Formats: sequence, C-alpha cells, structure tokens
Amino acid sequence: MAEFLAGCTPTLTHWLILTSALFSIGLYGMLTRRNAVGVLMSLELCLNAAAVNFVLFNRYLAPTAQGGAERLDGAVMTIFVIAVAAAEVVVGMAIFVAMYAERRTVDVTRLDALKD
Amino acid sequence: MLASAIPTLIFYLLAAISLTLAWSVVTGRRILRAAVSLMGVLGASAGLYLLLDSPFLAGVQVLVYVGGIVVLLVFAVMLTRTTELLEDHPTRLRQIVGSAVATGFFLLSYFMMTSDVFASRTLSALPKNDVAAIGRALLDTGEHGYALPFEVVSLLLLAAMIGGIVIARKPTALAKSEVPHG
Repeated sequence: MAEFLAGCTPTLTHWLILTSALFSIGLYGMLTRRNAVGVLMSLELCLNAAAVNFVLFNRYLAPTAQGGAERLDGAVMTIFVIAVAAAEVVVGMAIFVAMYAERRTVDVTRLDALKD
Repeated sequence: MLASAIPTLIFYLLAAISLTLAWSVVTGRRILRAAVSLMGVLGASAGLYLLLDSPFLAGVQVLVYVGGIVVLLVFAVMLTRTTELLEDHPTRLRQIVGSAVATGFFLLSYFMMTSDVFASRTLSALPKNDVAAIGRALLDTGEHGYALPFEVVSLLLLAAMIGGIVIARKPTALAKSEVPHG
C-alpha cells in the first residue's frame, strides 16, 4: 500500500487536472443555476481553483532567483484574488438584496427587464 | 517511503472531497446546503495550500473565504429567500449547453496540461520564511514589488464596502431625504 502510494506522488499535471476539474464544475454551475446566489457560489468555485493554480505554478515553475531569494509572486497573486473575491461577494450580495426588494425574486431567468 | 506516501494519500483524499462537494454545490437543489458544501470545498482548498507548503495562505483561505465570504453568501441566501424553497432542475437546454461548455473547457485544458511542458517540472526550493517574504513583497516599491497593487486593493475593498452599503440600504431613506429639496 505504502509502496503503491509512494509511486503515484502527484505531479504538476495531476494538480492541474484537479484544479481545472474544479473550474469546469464551477463553469457548469454558472451556466445552469437559476438562483443568482447559486451563480455567485459557482463563480467562487472558479476563483478558488484559479487561486490554487497561482500557488501551484509558483511552487513548480517559478525561477529561483540568484542568491537564494525565491520569488513569491504566485502567493501574492493568490492574496489579491482572495481580496477581490471578498469585494465581489460584498457588492454581489448588496445587488441581490436590492434586486429582491425591487422584484421579489433572484431568479436569473426572470430578470429580463432590459429586453422590454 | 511512508513519508512520501502520506502526502499522496492526503492529496487524493482532498481531491475526492473537493470534487464531490463542488458537484453538490452546483447541482444541489437546496441553496443553503450548497453554501455548506462550498464551505467544505474551500476548506479542502486550505488543505491543498498546506500540501503546497503555504501555511499562511491556508490561514488566509480559512479566515477570508470560509469565515467571511461563505458567511456573506449564507446571509445573501437568507435575505433573498423566495417562496419556492427548492430550486427547480435546470431545463434540458441549459443542462446540455452547460455540460458542453464545461466538458469542452476541461478537455481543452486537459490536452494542454498533459503536454511535455508541465510533465517534467518538479517542486522548486522552499522559500525560507514564507510570511515575512510575502510581507516584504507586498510592501516592496522596487522592480518586483507589489506596493502599488497592494494600495489599489485597499482602495477596492473600501469602494466595495461603501458600494455595498449604498446599494443595499432601503431606497425609501434616499427618497425621503430628497423630497424636501425637490
């Protein structure tokens, strides 16, 4: 058992397949969810997968600078992604609450006022 | 042998957990249950950060994502509760389009990722002091510093906070205050 597991140590490809599968699931949710909050949750899945990817590329692909000072661009980018996600959820929640007060629904298939 | 077997086991465990919970986030009919599943996915991602030797990011993930964003989403669910508690299944057309786009994206990225470019890469050396190095990078004004984006993000968070309050407050308060002037 231990020998088998040690033989399948995840490489960069395995990690990337996991994160792209998570991203694809989020994409599916964004296109099929009817509740606007559900769409936002699916978007969070995508953002989270992308944020993991930043750290991943940092750990596997980042050039190690001279003098032993490693670059941490991926980790910094992940922090920015998380901050932007927080800002986006705040504004999204405010929009949904205002929308609900106005139209009594957050069903994205029924929010078609721009078509009229 | 055992030292490399345990992280592998944890990786596949976390992968299985996050994929299962992610699927229940996008297909679950109860939206509140989907929010709880999302919390699980984000927690599993914190575990993935730990596996990638980034304990600081794992902490940020738990604090901001699990503790902040999911709680906000739960509030959004509760404040916009519609009369039909269960969400309908998506129509056949939306299911077909959604799965076609998602599968297409996954296959496209799969074929790019199994190329030789990524296969040969191995883990690079660990940064010596994770948190201190991130802090220095965030406040560095030099060539590879992130001082300007850092300040822009702080402005963005301020704008989001004010914007959230302005959008979500009762519209009557604004109307009443404007009536005497008009």
